[in-house]
Amino acid sequence: MAAINTASAPYRASPDPEGDSQSSSSNSPARQDYEESDFYTGNNDSQSSIGVPTFQDMAVSREVCEPPANRLPPEVLISILSKLSAPLDLLNCMSVSKAWARNSVDLLWHRPACTNWNKHGFICRTLSSPNPYFAYRDFIKRLNLATLANTVNDGSVIPLSVCTRIERLTLTNCKGITDSGLIGLLTDSSHLLALDISGDTQITAASMMVLADNCPRLQGLNISSCENISNEAMIAVAENCRYIKRLKLNNCKQLDDYAVLAFAKNCRNILEIDLHQCQMIRDQPVTELLVNGLTLRELRLANCDLITDAAFLNLPLHQTYEHLRILDLTSCTRLTDRAIEMIIDVAPRLRNLVFAKCKTLQTLLKLGKNLHYLHLGHCGQITDDAVIKLVASCNRIRYIDLGCCTHLTDRSVTKLASLPKLRRIGLVKCSQITDASVYALAQSRARAHDQNVRHGDRFPHHPVSSLERVHLSYCTNLTLDSIVILLNNCLKLTHLSLTGVVAFLRPDLEPYCREAPTEFTEHQRNVFCVFSGVGVTGLRRHLNSIPNALGDIDDDQTMTGMMGAAALNAADEEDGDADGDEELEDGDNTGSFGGMAT
Amino acid sequence: MSSADDQTITLVSNDNVSIPVALKVAERSMLIKNMLEDIGESAMESPIPIPNVRKRASPKEVIEWCEHHKDDPATAADDDSDSRKKTTDIEEWDQKFMQVDQEMLFEIILASNYLDIKPLLDVGCKTVANMIKGKSPEEIRKTFNITNDFTPEEEEQIRRENEWAEDR
Repeated sequence: MAAINTASAPYRASPDPEGDSQSSSSNSPARQDYEESDFYTGNNDSQSSIGVPTFQDMAVSREVCEPPANRLPPEVLISILSKLSAPLDLLNCMSVSKAWARNSVDLLWHRPACTNWNKHGFICRTLSSPNPYFAYRDFIKRLNLATLANTVNDGSVIPLSVCTRIERLTLTNCKGITDSGLIGLLTDSSHLLALDISGDTQITAASMMVLADNCPRLQGLNISSCENISNEAMIAVAENCRYIKRLKLNNCKQLDDYAVLAFAKNCRNILEIDLHQCQMIRDQPVTELLVNGLTLRELRLANCDLITDAAFLNLPLHQTYEHLRILDLTSCTRLTDRAIEMIIDVAPRLRNLVFAKCKTLQTLLKLGKNLHYLHLGHCGQITDDAVIKLVASCNRIRYIDLGCCTHLTDRSVTKLASLPKLRRIGLVKCSQITDASVYALAQSRARAHDQNVRHGDRFPHHPVSSLERVHLSYCTNLTLDSIVILLNNCLKLTHLSLTGVVAFLRPDLEPYCREAPTEFTEHQRNVFCVFSGVGVTGLRRHLNSIPNALGDIDDDQTMTGMMGAAALNAADEEDGDADGDEELEDGDNTGSFGGMAT
Repeated sequence: MSSADDQTITLVSNDNVSIPVALKVAERSMLIKNMLEDIGESAMESPIPIPNVRKRASPKEVIEWCEHHKDDPATAADDDSDSRKKTTDIEEWDQKFMQVDQEMLFEIILASNYLDIKPLLDVGCKTVANMIKGKSPEEIRKTFNITNDFTPEEEEQIRRENEWAEDR
């Protein structure tokens, strides 16, 4: 620490023409440094003492002898330096000259890398230094201690509490931090925009009151699993931090309706709220969040199992929620088809819907065509008729999970296979389905192609099957024959799960299978059968190399699929009426499909 | 719009040379574009002086770049997203374009800054950043002919206070 003794050294970069004698004219040099780096604002009355105009004047009068690099105005020099991302490059620039140092120091300290204890120690040493060359503390805008989470404690954040211009503070899973550490960081941090203390289980209301009092600009807050924060404290946060846009309260089982209602009433700009496992939440806050949230986009209510149909049936009839895209109702077991009908009516642009374990759902009436993602796992009452109706009205589905929907048969899957954009399908434990379902999935492209040709459609379908992930574990009727066709026709396949399917429990397939998770029991390991990434490629090659793996299946089926793959351009008839967001996504698709076709 | 495509305006450099430029090309400069929008149609008939573009960098290079990029989408170049900031990838044509002596490189940068042609400024800055990468302070000074105005003690202090940034 003796190295910090710089009392006799010049205090800061100064263009003082007399040389770098210690300046006594300014008693807050550090502040001047900061402002200079903010020179764009142009209202800096101390400029004459810090060199910017001098620099420009020189460019005019001494143009001939100045090397070109010295003629760059600071804003251009900063543009250049901001292209450098490696801290070492920025540090080397800082050492070049005083002008370069002034213009690179805030880039280097914007987000100092506390990625190991060594660096953390150096950073804290500099911040604690009595006479630093620059006011480094004011340059720090982002601080993330997540990589040190397991060993962080209050002592390790106290030196950092001198930073009062932090905008993003990330302390994910820093279980060792208590209120005394966090309060130090939050006090006077009026610039704070985002705070993540998820998993910091020792944090209580005391910190949240400081947050409410000091951080009025807050936009993002994640207090997941902070079970010691009281409802009163959260109400105070809601009343004071009214610009909150993103709120994650997962596993805050202590929170009740009043806390969430306070956010619904005070924070009208919420975009995303996640109440996963907030088990005390009932209907009213859900209704109020929807009614008051002018731009609510994402509402996650998984495992909030006190929620009933009333949460949605109480919505005013005249209002629609155009912004709502994602709704997660996993295990909201009291919900019935009536609530779902209402949701679909008032939120026409919903794209992701998760009804997993909503066991009473039966009919899936009226699901809209904007749906991309639908999770119906464990909705055990769903029938083939419901699925067939679903496919007819929602032909943009990319992801569907029907795991444990045990009533479903090949009739459903044959229909699902016709979805033109299907990428992932989950049919785990749909034990009634047979090889016919897999053939349908493998063949869908070829069939779509035939139809288009017959009808002279101007917009041919995607040439290659879009299927990427197929989950067929415990579909016990399946055999090798159909899977070979699936593998050969679906070239984009990256994941195939067949756990517990007897036909695949063969030693020759084991080399391509993923390792079973370590926590599995002996029995679970024995039936585990999942192929992903290169495993899929390997499995395809292996099965094709065994002559009798194809059995007596005629080659036509494979060929049809491959012909379809080779023949066509990527485009989709549905894209014509797609909304803006949709086009973006489809643009990506077209790119990758095009890549496959060539 | 076809009539606007053929329209030509006249720029005058600081050594009084008149340069006819297609309107579409000249409008890559936000300075000129805004000026024309403010003053209106009549301005297109009178010559537009661009005094801050220096003698040595005749606007020729800048106009050449604008010609090549006249059909680029305007929005993509204007957004200040992180992706644009942190990459130093440069497309091939621009790389060749920037293979000029240092004097000219900085003149192009200064001209694009003055004329407010952000994508050109961006390419210029990336080119210089690539010249900096991996160099020691002394090598950087040599490359750009910059005088070290630190005392040895100051340089040592900077190094010590920023030790965390050293590669390790």
